[in-house]
Amino acid sequence: MATERTTNSKAVEDMLLNVGTLLMSNGASTGRVRTTINRIADALGYEVELLITSRSLMLTVTTEDGSDYTSSVKRTPPHGVNFKLVSGISRLSWRVIEEELSVEQINQDIERIKSLPHYPRLVVLALVALAGASFCRLFGGEVPEMMAAFTATFFGLFIRQEALKMRFNPYISIFFASFAAAMVAGLSIKLNIGHSPENALATSVLFLIPGVPLINSLSDLMDGNTLNGMVRGVNGLIIAFSIALGLMLAMQIYSL
Amino acid sequence: MELFTLLEKGIWFGFAALGFAILFNVPRRTLFIIWIIAALGGLTKLILIQQNLEITIATFAGASLIGMLSVYAAHTKHAPPLVFSIPAVIPMVPGIFAYRMMLGLMKLSSTAATSDTYSVSLSETVSYGLKTLFILMALAVGVAIPMLISRKETIKKVKRPTQK
Repeated sequence: MATERTTNSKAVEDMLLNVGTLLMSNGASTGRVRTTINRIADALGYEVELLITSRSLMLTVTTEDGSDYTSSVKRTPPHGVNFKLVSGISRLSWRVIEEELSVEQINQDIERIKSLPHYPRLVVLALVALAGASFCRLFGGEVPEMMAAFTATFFGLFIRQEALKMRFNPYISIFFASFAAAMVAGLSIKLNIGHSPENALATSVLFLIPGVPLINSLSDLMDGNTLNGMVRGVNGLIIAFSIALGLMLAMQIYSL
Repeated sequence: MELFTLLEKGIWFGFAALGFAILFNVPRRTLFIIWIIAALGGLTKLILIQQNLEITIATFAGASLIGMLSVYAAHTKHAPPLVFSIPAVIPMVPGIFAYRMMLGLMKLSSTAATSDTYSVSLSETVSYGLKTLFILMALAVGVAIPMLISRKETIKKVKRPTQK
């Protein structure tokens, strides 16, 4: 099987580097990156050794009989979250085994997965704002507070998207977003809307919480990828700190 | 009446998770499952708290349930477990405790250590801070354990067909 599907090692290596860096920068844990790369390499008849860090990926590809080998490094782009991509590549890795895809077919499929559309911007804004309102309800808010949380989250997320578009530093963008959301929610306290407007303020910034870095951090730590786990954990802490800073500044301005 | 308020909270757990699912750009076929998993996990937590269980343990139980359901959903919907589990646990994040801890820290840094209110706010802040920390850890560990256990099984299944 291996012989008829063997292409040159360099092409396999480039494809694997592409897969690995895409997974790493879009919210997969280190263990998943390793499993997926091994799975694809195995199916193509190659053996692979990996060094996975949060900002770069290094791998050595060897043919099964050891006659040809090559290694190289690729920079991992800044981290974001796109589970459509993680899920698509995971499915692709199974298809490589089941349908015996060639490297070229795999590359085509990666391009297709990369071009899958995001949800429309208005849908994202509206549903994340609804999530903010839901949080508010869960912490005991009533309808007026929920409305305040909805508006604040909507506005905060809009600011974050704009800041990222203008290529601000990601932590600064989060600070801007948290400040904007807290300013809107703080207004509802000043105007005395509802019984416990404090709930709206506390929940208005929750859409920024670093859920993916923190949970991946723990899976990495428990999986033995201690260094990557610590990197992700520190990243999560800086995000949490940026949120707190924005919230604090808004509260100082309103002198709450 | 109590059952009604409980179910109503379940619905909000679902919507909070749905918002994050959209934010993380999950595949459309997983959206409904995420809603259900989040609601079930959140309800488990609330019911356990009603049985006078500590909030940390209740959260751990809810998060573990979400972790297990996600592994199951991963097999039927063909997406990695983290696609389901991460949006679904986020509604259980202790936002209010974290907020109160932050308020406490701000108060502590601006009042004199000798004032009468200092020790009261110190113990309040420590209490909220510890609750936040332990609930977050319970969430992450509870969700990670089922994923780590199940990953062992998938690798076994992969090895077999390739060794023709």
